[in-house]
Amino acid sequence: MAIKEELQKQLIDELVVESLEGLDAFDHEILVLETGEQTADTWNNAFRIIHTIKGSSGCVGFGKVESVAHVGESLLAVLRDGSLTPDSNTFSSLLRYSDALREMMRSIGQDGVEGSADHSQLVSDIQALHSGLTGAKHGNPAFGFFDEEPKAPEALSDTPMDAPTAAPLAATTADKEDTNASHPAGSQAPKGSISDSAIRVDVSQIDRLMNLVGELVLARNQIVQSTGQDADPAHVAAVQRVNLITSELQQSVMKTRMQPIGNVWSKFPRIIRDLCHELGKDVALVMEGNETELDRTIIEAIKDPMTHIIRNSIDHGIEHPEQRVADGKPAQGRLSLRAFHEGGQVNIEISDDGHGIDVGRVLQKAIQRGVVTQEQAARMSQREMLALVFLPGVSTADEVTNVSGRGVGMDVVRTNIEKIGGNVDLHSEQGKGTTIRIKIPLTLAIIPALVVTCGDDRYAIPAASLVELVRIEGDQVDKSVEHIHDAPVYRLRGNLLPLVHLAKELELTALRHEEEAMFLVVLQAEGRQFGLVVDGINDTEEIVVKPLGKEMKGLSVYAGATIMGDGKVALILDVLGLARRAMLLDEGSRQSAKDRDGIKAPDADNETRSLLVARVGANRIAIPVSCIARLEEIPAGKIEHAGKLEVIQYRGRIMTVVRLASVLGIPDGASPAESADSERLLALVVCALETSNLGVIVDAIEDIVEERIQIEIREGQRGILGSAVVQQRVTDLLDIKELARMAA
Amino acid sequence: MGRTVITVDDASTIRRMISFTLRSAGHEVIEACDGMEALNQLKLRAVDLVISDINMPRMDGIELTRQLRALDRHKSTPILLLTTESDPAMKAKGKQAGATGWLVKPFQQDQLLGVVATIFSR
Amino acid sequence: MAVLDVQEVVRQQEITHVPLAPGVVRGLINLRGNIVSTIDMRRLLKMPPLDDESQSINVITRVAGALVSLLVDHIGDVIEAPDDRFEPVPSTLGSEVKHIITRVCKLPGNLLMILNPERIVEFDRVNLPVPIELHKDRAA
Repeated sequence: MAIKEELQKQLIDELVVESLEGLDAFDHEILVLETGEQTADTWNNAFRIIHTIKGSSGCVGFGKVESVAHVGESLLAVLRDGSLTPDSNTFSSLLRYSDALREMMRSIGQDGVEGSADHSQLVSDIQALHSGLTGAKHGNPAFGFFDEEPKAPEALSDTPMDAPTAAPLAATTADKEDTNASHPAGSQAPKGSISDSAIRVDVSQIDRLMNLVGELVLARNQIVQSTGQDADPAHVAAVQRVNLITSELQQSVMKTRMQPIGNVWSKFPRIIRDLCHELGKDVALVMEGNETELDRTIIEAIKDPMTHIIRNSIDHGIEHPEQRVADGKPAQGRLSLRAFHEGGQVNIEISDDGHGIDVGRVLQKAIQRGVVTQEQAARMSQREMLALVFLPGVSTADEVTNVSGRGVGMDVVRTNIEKIGGNVDLHSEQGKGTTIRIKIPLTLAIIPALVVTCGDDRYAIPAASLVELVRIEGDQVDKSVEHIHDAPVYRLRGNLLPLVHLAKELELTALRHEEEAMFLVVLQAEGRQFGLVVDGINDTEEIVVKPLGKEMKGLSVYAGATIMGDGKVALILDVLGLARRAMLLDEGSRQSAKDRDGIKAPDADNETRSLLVARVGANRIAIPVSCIARLEEIPAGKIEHAGKLEVIQYRGRIMTVVRLASVLGIPDGASPAESADSERLLALVVCALETSNLGVIVDAIEDIVEERIQIEIREGQRGILGSAVVQQRVTDLLDIKELARMAA
Repeated sequence: MGRTVITVDDASTIRRMISFTLRSAGHEVIEACDGMEALNQLKLRAVDLVISDINMPRMDGIELTRQLRALDRHKSTPILLLTTESDPAMKAKGKQAGATGWLVKPFQQDQLLGVVATIFSR
Repeated sequence: MAVLDVQEVVRQQEITHVPLAPGVVRGLINLRGNIVSTIDMRRLLKMPPLDDESQSINVITRVAGALVSLLVDHIGDVIEAPDDRFEPVPSTLGSEVKHIITRVCKLPGNLLMILNPERIVEFDRVNLPVPIELHKDRAA
């Protein structure tokens, strides 16, 4: 009996899936019919869908669904035959009918029973749409043989009842024979229904496949890595084969999981139509990028957020036709959906040409709810005010309408998107409209990437952004790197390439030695190129992209992380994020990029800073690591004099040095004998200024720390910004710029 | 004794149901999703029974019946058409095309087994 | 911390430093193919770093659906304490501490603070700082 139950359950699952798919197609057909764009088959398609549902649910034992389906089928039959002309009421009823069936199916899918909802009103509505109900059970025998029938009650046929023989039939089939006779036996039938070229696979199976392939990629990386140059040729050949096969396998499996976003979007025309009817609005839907493919999990995750955003747009964004005309807009509103891939992410844009978000009201609501205070509100930028929409409890509608739902806010949308590692952005212009941008990383992607080193760590750069690699020999570096308005550039085949030092952007201390070559990775972001300076370049590898946790969400320079062949974690750089942060894009984004990453101006409180702590006499001095280019030790004798200044020759240039001790007016702790010793090594901190470097001589370098500090700004001492508690001791923070001015 | 049956229907639920039911009775079951596919299969092999829905894309049950009757191999293969109450005209067409009998949808598993047993006993 | 939140404990792992991340985030570790962030509890509690971290332990915890590793010095026992030993957080504690501690438990000679892992990983979106004061805790 267990098998029978199991089979029954499978049947039920099959029924539910088949029916729900059918109902979606049904909706589509009805919408097509409503706009008058139908073909000859449209009514029949709609009919057949309901007919199938009726038959299937009857066979599985769901009589209630069967009889409801029966009612609709009858109506559709007369509509199909043309004996009844539909009006807008008909279509609305049919869509409601479809919803009822859907509801019953969902109930079956969830609980195995048809549900207790009472559809009798709907049934009578449908019946009322056409007079009479054909197909009532006539009490005919359920089964019979044609050659045994004495007299069929509905004897419409004019041929005598004979045992089926070939003779009379040969004549009637002669003309039909041609179509098939021309096909040689076994030839490919023309592509018809999708069911003969597709199979259904349980989603969890695909997930398992996906995970296995991911593991295989990692294992393959390890094998490739550990196969040295001197390996046995047969072994190498085998490894190469594994390599190739793994790549292909991985691409194929990924494909199985990808679905076009159109699958999600296909439900929207119906939703929008219903909303428009309900609210008395007129909105045209434009969809671009239906074929953009996303992984299954992403599709699942964005369904609800997108639906909510669209509902919001129509409910609160787009005005009534009369209002629009009064404002000089076309009566019909426009809602556009756009999807495309960029920079390893999927971008989805939903825009409407409604009246935009009333920032003033958002602010009011926010203040009312106690989300922000009046003072905070006064200091907010436009962007920040718009961003308030994402906080729970802030709704721009005066009453929460039935349509958008209570409790479902933009905060939930944002949470859902961020859960899959994406982010949501909102732009709005009063009177013009609102655009919501969703960006989601292709988190389960396996992508080719270039591995580079910077400092002690490796970083991966998606190959998609990679243009070329440049190596500059040590002695050429100073000649090749020029400066334009303080920004370093490199002349690559005549074009100026802005340079970004990865070490600098990540606030790491550079380790490159003078004589060593400089490695440039030429990258592309938003149509512009730049060169990323790294310490070393490793290989190109295929990596599994894994998202970073919530804790790292604000770091725009990373696109995720991956596990390398040796099991260690490496960060994946986000080329666009890096470019923005390095101020390569417009000035406007410069500050916001820095804000986003949580780095504020030096006089901010309580930020985590990377600091170099040095000792000068009995004082502790701190210098932000971001200002530091190199740490050196130089013999005292190297210091020369140029006018009043002390300088040294550094990397082919003349660099000013300052002895911090003298600047601060404190004794430097060295004895006269030591001071005179030209061999004595001095600790030199090379600080990078806008146009040049400045060498700062300290007594000793203590430590490099990362701490959250509170700076007490102090006037009165030139060269010192203020003091803070670093490593539980009072430390003075150096003002490099001021120092440079003092030394000049 | 186990026979071979082909079930032709574009509704996968019904195909499944028929397959399960008949397999549990010891028969072998082939599935086809419409008349065209069934015809292609049946050109290459014989079966002991064809159970076919009438309303299907590409080629419906009536046409399938006609085509099968024109083939030597299937001149006398039992063909059972699944009809619906609301279309009595179809039954007549089926008879005209040369079908063996009809069964009204929806039907229950035991009904199906009974009908099939009856057919095989003739 | 509630034992049920803890998935497993592993020894000190190779940590990949994440430049620009908040200071308390020590870095990322590879946990059987999953990339997990590691939060340095000593840094969180403003304690000086250990010289020898070879004995440090990663407590892998499930927080809000994701895995996070808390780097601690030492794992104590798993204790089961009767309900009457638990008390609400004393009002004498600073508000910032109350922020990450759910309640306290009276042990013989000791006061054990029960951490709320969710609070630890909460990084305020608007980048307002969340100062945390000093209180030592043992994983329970």
